[in-house]
Amino acid sequence: MSNVLVVIGHGMVGHRFVRELRARDRDRSWRVVVLAEEPVPAYDRLHLSERARGAPEAQLSLPGADFASDDGVELRLATRAVRIDREAREVLCADGARVRYDALVLAAGSRPFVPPVPGHDLPGCHVYRTLADVAAIRAAARPGRTGVVVGGGLLGLEAAGALQALGMRPHVVEGAPWLMPLQLDEGGGAVLGRQVTELGVAPHCGVGLKSVDAGPDGTASSVTLADGTVLDTSLVVFSTGVRPRDELAADAGLNTGERGGFHVDGHCRTADERIWAVGECAAVDGRCFGLVTPGYRMAESVASTLTGETPAPLSDPDLSTELKLLGVAVASFGDAHARTAGAMEYIHTSGAGDRYAKLVLDATGNTLLGGVLAGDSSSYGRLRSLLGHRLPGAPEGLLGAAL
Amino acid sequence: MSDADVDTAERIVVAGYGPAAHRLVERLAHRGHGGAVTVLGAEPEPAYQRPLLTSVVDGTLPSGALRLPAAPEGVRLLLGVTATAVDRERRLVHSDDGRSHPYDRLVLATGAAPRLPDLPWLHGSDGQLPAGVRVLRTLDDTAALAGAAPVTVVGGGPLAVEAVLALRRLGRDVTLVHRGPYPLDRHLDPRAGELLSARLRALDVDLCLGRTARAYADGKLRLDDGRCVAAHDVLLCTGAAPRDGLARSAGLAVDGGVFVDDELRTDDPRVHAIGDCARPAGPAGSYGGHTTAWEQAETLALLLTGDDFPPARSRPVLRLRARELDLVRLGAPDGADETVVLADAARGRYARLSLRDNRVCGAVLLGLDRAIAAVARLYQRGEPVPADRLALLLGAAPEYAGEELPGDVVVCHCSNVTGTDLEAAWQAGARTPAALTAATRASTGCGSCGDELRRWCTEFVRREEAVSA
Ligand SMILES: Cc1cc2nc3c(=O)[nH]c(=O)nc-3n(C[C@H](O)[C@H](O)[C@H](O)COP(=O)(O)OP(=O)(O)OC[C@H]3O[C@@H](n4cnc5c(N)ncnc54)[C@H](O)[C@@H]3O)c2cc1C
Ligand SMILES: Cc1cc2nc3c(=O)[nH]c(=O)nc-3n(C[C@H](O)[C@H](O)[C@H](O)COP(=O)(O)OP(=O)(O)OC[C@H]3O[C@@H](n4cnc5c(N)ncnc54)[C@H](O)[C@@H]3O)c2cc1C
Repeated sequence: MSNVLVVIGHGMVGHRFVRELRARDRDRSWRVVVLAEEPVPAYDRLHLSERARGAPEAQLSLPGADFASDDGVELRLATRAVRIDREAREVLCADGARVRYDALVLAAGSRPFVPPVPGHDLPGCHVYRTLADVAAIRAAARPGRTGVVVGGGLLGLEAAGALQALGMRPHVVEGAPWLMPLQLDEGGGAVLGRQVTELGVAPHCGVGLKSVDAGPDGTASSVTLADGTVLDTSLVVFSTGVRPRDELAADAGLNTGERGGFHVDGHCRTADERIWAVGECAAVDGRCFGLVTPGYRMAESVASTLTGETPAPLSDPDLSTELKLLGVAVASFGDAHARTAGAMEYIHTSGAGDRYAKLVLDATGNTLLGGVLAGDSSSYGRLRSLLGHRLPGAPEGLLGAAL
Repeated sequence: MSDADVDTAERIVVAGYGPAAHRLVERLAHRGHGGAVTVLGAEPEPAYQRPLLTSVVDGTLPSGALRLPAAPEGVRLLLGVTATAVDRERRLVHSDDGRSHPYDRLVLATGAAPRLPDLPWLHGSDGQLPAGVRVLRTLDDTAALAGAAPVTVVGGGPLAVEAVLALRRLGRDVTLVHRGPYPLDRHLDPRAGELLSARLRALDVDLCLGRTARAYADGKLRLDDGRCVAAHDVLLCTGAAPRDGLARSAGLAVDGGVFVDDELRTDDPRVHAIGDCARPAGPAGSYGGHTTAWEQAETLALLLTGDDFPPARSRPVLRLRARELDLVRLGAPDGADETVVLADAARGRYARLSLRDNRVCGAVLLGLDRAIAAVARLYQRGEPVPADRLALLLGAAPEYAGEELPGDVVVCHCSNVTGTDLEAAWQAGARTPAALTAATRASTGCGSCGDELRRWCTEFVRREEAVSA
């Protein structure tokens, strides 16, 4: 008789987890129940912006996402888990259903964080995380008008690109002195800022959002920045970071990390040996990761544990990112900010400052630890694959086309 | 100037006897100038190497070691004598010993004097500096800096940094007060400035940056943030102002230096100016230093002895003289089409190369002694830089791995596929990028590894060809 494995959340990582588990579980020791809050099966969130630009939803589908041909998996869509009863080993759903588990994997992802500025919840304010969010933005977009994206990180720029594709004139408000501050250093940020400006996106860096202001009809009609600038707009997209969805932790008596997320060990296990957490909702040794690749590593690890293997604890994840939208090439990989002890930085700027490349090297100057590319990221794949390895030759040759 | 203008029997009077004047009279003799040469030097010392004064301060050199070679025979050297006025009509220079000196050519080489910052407490009614406040321009100034008590240096230029280091070497507690964000802020970009600050702090120099001195009393200097720093002495290193008073009172065109043309002539064709007191055409501040002084002296000696071809100007180099700290700035970053930076914060090393057409047009190098020599050579000769700039800056090529693709690299991070995984798939018959993708799931995620996948595919083909060949 097989045991029941309940998965809460059917996002990118939850789906990868179930696929991994099904591929490994040859003797079908688990029967899987997936509780999915969204009304659709998991989809490719990374390419959400393509949907914003009008690509059909089908283009975002993930292989095998509906488990139609897999009788070992029961996918319950539009079903939110509201409580975990660890004693009874049951998950309670919003529709009143109870599902007993032998093992429970939390894959609830994150929710957008919206700063509590005045007016943040007026009609006209949006977030950018789900297909439903994108549908709302598409419905609200007005070609030719100004749209304001709050937050100049990777997602904020994606949102700006989406607004532009919808015919709007996007402005991006970023509190840090340059765009994509988490990934880029000052030099890379400068190249990015120049290039997005040329492409018609107006960045406002080093200034925070003071308020979203309502018009006579009670919907958003403008935003005010900390420096007094007023931008007239009826569409505001908040892209100011995410918070792990750990709201089931408190009731269930599960620990959370300092910055939220279900606290798990290097094997993604909570203090309860029957409960794991993977993806953005997991705080591995206290740390959450807002990217999909670390989540995939977690999914693989838990899938192999549950099928009787003993995987090595997770190693430091790869936090590389590349922005492909807006025709701007920027990428950051590995230790982009040279935080490794003894690391040195080698920075090459060319093309009248249009191309910027930084390599972070170890103390010997020959091992690649990370880097930043802006203006031309054609060497990204190569450099990323060389992380932790000795450079094959002089940096100029490696940056190759980037020069 | 054509040969007809040059009378080799001209009487030449030189006002000032610093490095510029010294080099001039030496070159004049070398070129066989026949006329009388008279030199008036206000200091009691014959000319010496002013840039080495900090070595006298810290005791590494006795003062005599700075002395430049003796003036050529026949030069009339009047030391301790100051030129007080020029009568251009009668072509006479008056001096403070009551004599006057007729000239056919007058060369002003009066150098520069310490520039005092515009701080009310410095400027007493008697025109004297307050007790304990010092400058460093002459050998005479070095004696007062010998003590052991805490000292505060005001300023942020090369002299301030060199003086700070010399005083630390003496074992004195040193505070540096500078109104800029870091020392040498006119020469270094912020990252190099940060590293320099860190190096100075590591030498126990107390840095007060972004600050000015408000008052000085009882061995304490009060800063504009209210802080009081111990200062038995205060050494002002706040720049040097060209000494152009003699020229000004003679009615010559001056403005922060005596204006001169390419032939180092003032607006009176019989009067020249060289060295720190001269202001050649070009933007203010783009000249100066002892290299310029020497070059101008050499150029003028050639012109005064009938040569039409002054040598090409060398290019500006700033080098800090301190064994704790190897710092050089060459040229300027303007007009660069390529910039290379090496920032090695852990070891306090930094380099910024500004390249134009693959040649160095500007550079800042800190703590990279081998690179300093190599880059300075490329710069002076205008030679192209080597392809491997990292090796140039580190002083040796790092141990590169070579072009062989290592098997343990992760090629596709989304699906966690290594080079070895790809090779296994290849061996199992996946002979195209698409087949490799199907077999390993590489490149099914974000897609950024597509190029890498093709590179590996090419590599497998190459390896097989190598085996069968
Ligand atoms: C526009 C956009 C672009 C992105 N681009 C990149 C990129 O280029 N590279 C990158 O690495 N990452 C990118 N990301 C981030 C990436 O999408 C996430 O890291 C990834 O989706 C995390 O997967 P997850 O399964 O942990 O969470 P999610 O994908 O958020 O899935 C969690 C799912 O769980 C559901 N859920 C939550 N609570 C419950 C509950 N109680 N009951 C039932 N279901 C629940 C949620 O509704 C959701 O469907 C991007 C994100 C966005 C929005
Ligand atoms: C501590 C220190 C370190 C330095 N380090 C560097 C360095 O690393 N690199 C660099 O390029 N430069 C350096 N300099 C600057 C360099 O010393 C000067 O550029 C150089 O000395 C200029 O030579 P000069 O002959 O034009 O003037 P000076 O050396 O100033 O000589 C002028 C002489 O003329 C005398 N004089 C003035 N007026 C009269 C008068 N009316 N009658 C008679 N005599 C008069 C003065 O007393 C003085 O002796 C440094 C200066 C100092 C003080």
